Amino acid sequence: MNTTVDRVAPDVAVVALDGELDASNYRELIETGQQLYADGARRLVLDLSRLTYMSSSGIVAFHSLALVFRGQQPPDPEAGWSAFHAVSSDTHEGARGEEVRLVAPTPAIDRVLDRTGLKRILPIYPDRESALVG
Amino acid sequence: MAPPAMLRIEADVARLRDVRRFVREVAPGLGADEAAVLDLVQAVDEWVTNVIVHGYRGAGGPIEVELERVGDEIVARVRDVAPAFDPATAPVFDPNLPLERRPAGKMGIHLIRELCDRFEHRVPAGGGNEIAMTRSARPAGTETGGNA
Repeated sequence: MNTTVDRVAPDVAVVALDGELDASNYRELIETGQQLYADGARRLVLDLSRLTYMSSSGIVAFHSLALVFRGQQPPDPEAGWSAFHAVSSDTHEGARGEEVRLVAPTPAIDRVLDRTGLKRILPIYPDRESALVG
Repeated sequence: MAPPAMLRIEADVARLRDVRRFVREVAPGLGADEAAVLDLVQAVDEWVTNVIVHGYRGAGGPIEVELERVGDEIVARVRDVAPAFDPATAPVFDPNLPLERRPAGKMGIHLIRELCDRFEHRVPAGGGNEIAMTRSARPAGTETGGNA
């Protein structure tokens, strides 16, 4: 998978994913997001229009990035269920954050987002422009 | 009757793309329609990932992936020699949980259950695991009906 980072504003980054996102490369995507957050980005737009396949590892990456952009530590995916504990009583719990936005998933990707419940957590926009102004 | 098509790999996440390619190339020849191929690619990828990361814990080991047509269904079998693990014992993933209370992983088994009609585990005589993921080759009622 190729990723292209477009820093459209000091606090906004667009990352375009091209290819297949699976267990072999999802950590790199998390690291890219962590680096962008460290560099001052506070909104992350993930352009999925050229992502052709995504396994549940991709869901773990999006989940982790959503936490990173809320200023939290991403969970350790290797820890699995043992890492599953009520993480503080964050006042935003259950709220649909707007820090990480997904753009233009293909039907195959949309299906995975739907089946894993991520569509209820991360907003999805039809194109970059609407994700950037919304 | 031809033997099932088989792919043997060493457990390594870098080989997942080869596993997906194998399913994409073989399943249509067994009569799987486009939706069935997509579901089988994802189900097999999810399970093989599970074997590599949790079964062998990143230490490596052999994995066999086999595809076969049985009646109106495609059966994907995955064999390993990792410690026995029955996915039926895994906690059920709740896709309705809010972000902060979702587990970091373990969605693969949830997806496989959604994608396949049956998901069965057995411990072969020599140990390890054999998982059979069964999916209808095409929607019910179209078996003799052409390209629906």
